[in-house]
Amino acid sequence: MQPFIQIQQLKHAYPLESGGQIMALRDVDLTIEPGEFVALVGPNGSGKSTLARHFNGLLLPTAGQVWVDGLLTSDPKHLWAVRQRVGMVFQNPDNQLVASTVEEDVAFGPENQAIPPDEIRRRVDEALRVVGLTDYRTHPPQMLSGGQKQLVAIAGALAARPSCIVFDEPTSMLDPPGRRQILETIEQLNTRGGITIVLITQSMGEAAIARRVLAMHAGRIAMDGPPEEILEQEERLRALGLGLPPAVEIAHRLRDKGIPLPPGLLTVKALVRALC
Amino acid sequence: MLIRVENLVHIYAPGTPLARAALRGVSLEIGPGERVGIVGRTGSGKSTLVQHLAGLLEPTAGRIRLDGIVAHARTAAARAQRRRVGLAFQYPEDQIFEQTVFREVAFGPRNLGLEDTEIATRVHWALEMVGLNPAEMQERVPFSLSGGEMRRVALASILAMRPEVLILDEPTAGLDPQGRRDLLARIRAWQQETNLTLILISHNLDELARVVERVVVLGKGEVIADGPARQALSDSELLHAAGLDVPLPVALLHALQEAGWKVRTDRLLPEEAVAEIAQARGFSEKRP
Repeated sequence: MQPFIQIQQLKHAYPLESGGQIMALRDVDLTIEPGEFVALVGPNGSGKSTLARHFNGLLLPTAGQVWVDGLLTSDPKHLWAVRQRVGMVFQNPDNQLVASTVEEDVAFGPENQAIPPDEIRRRVDEALRVVGLTDYRTHPPQMLSGGQKQLVAIAGALAARPSCIVFDEPTSMLDPPGRRQILETIEQLNTRGGITIVLITQSMGEAAIARRVLAMHAGRIAMDGPPEEILEQEERLRALGLGLPPAVEIAHRLRDKGIPLPPGLLTVKALVRALC
Repeated sequence: MLIRVENLVHIYAPGTPLARAALRGVSLEIGPGERVGIVGRTGSGKSTLVQHLAGLLEPTAGRIRLDGIVAHARTAAARAQRRRVGLAFQYPEDQIFEQTVFREVAFGPRNLGLEDTEIATRVHWALEMVGLNPAEMQERVPFSLSGGEMRRVALASILAMRPEVLILDEPTAGLDPQGRRDLLARIRAWQQETNLTLILISHNLDELARVVERVVVLGKGEVIADGPARQALSDSELLHAAGLDVPLPVALLHALQEAGWKVRTDRLLPEEAVAEIAQARGFSEKRP
């Protein structure tokens, strides 16, 4: 099978006012297969968002190559095909909503792609059904809760029928019920919809729901593996400015007290099962 | 400073079809040096309440008194009180407008009429407090910063005013784990040194548990609980009703209790929960 995203020797530099430049990405090599669920973690300024913006051609490499579904992103004639395949959902839902009703907002993307009206109708209805907002389709987005607004943004991304959605800290502005709603939706898009997911997060607990964790540091991928493996490595994570998920931290402290526990306990449920 | 909130009502867009009551009769008192967490779902009124504490909104009914003076009044005395309160908003990009990081952080102190050397000292101190290297950062253009860096700059510009009451609305959202730990530890240390009043809004109750001693729970514009942090943050019924999750150590202890373990559940921090579990484990191991 052809990898969904393939990146070779990617570098990205941002220019500075003074005329110099900051290297945000230095030599990233990465392959993501279709249907993967990848969490991207790393300290502020480590290059997570810069990397993710290469996945749909929002940013183009300063050096190196990015292929999405076999299409080279730096080739201008692929740009729309790449954007159609990879959707983005950002942190602040208020900055992403553009229309006066939920369904118009969801229809905004497809309308701009000159898709016929009845096809748009079908896509909007389906996207709203997937995120559970069918009953809200005529509501103004401003009147929705933070979690619901974020679901509208996800529906907007879905209406383009992408193969992959990149979520850039989608829950950091949400309250706990809103967070749960979004994380459950993301998991379902992956398991039921087969959509490739890249989830950028500052929450190590959230990273635990992915099936692969990439930890970035200073523009490079410093760690790459399944969460049970990566999220146990206290010293390495701390050295990167990260930490353990709260459940893993408790497991480590319990082991320090002499209570024997197996590795890979990422949730309260897993801890309770191991203790009882 | 003594903060008194007296029967505060706030209605957005009153008299229109979009009228929405954000606060419906909130009363509370916060004394000097207290560390208070304000929690509740999105839309529960937290952000409206803290904007009132900073005197930024005019109440629909009721009032806020800062050391006895009505906070939103258009008088010199009220203005002087408001200056003692620093509020860092949830969306830092909304409050940043200067050309360089230095000028951004210096803006408030300059408005206080301080001398250049004092301003420079404060900017330096405030940037260090939020974990930014002053030499590296001060000439940067705010809009070239990452989300996490921008958040830190916005907070530094509030700290540089040296407020007596510091209100932080989701201060650590978007910061990396190490950054969150460091920031809260430094603010806590400064609080102890200066007897600052610290008011924190956060959905992250694990984090809140390390900092505050008192928790006010808001629901639909009303105070639904107000008490010691240990009590409020271990009350799963109360927190679930308010749409919040208990801190993870509390959730673990609750689950163990349900499984028949004899453990207390009001242990908010990982190290406290671990001590409780180790003790219960030791106790049960002595039995057959």
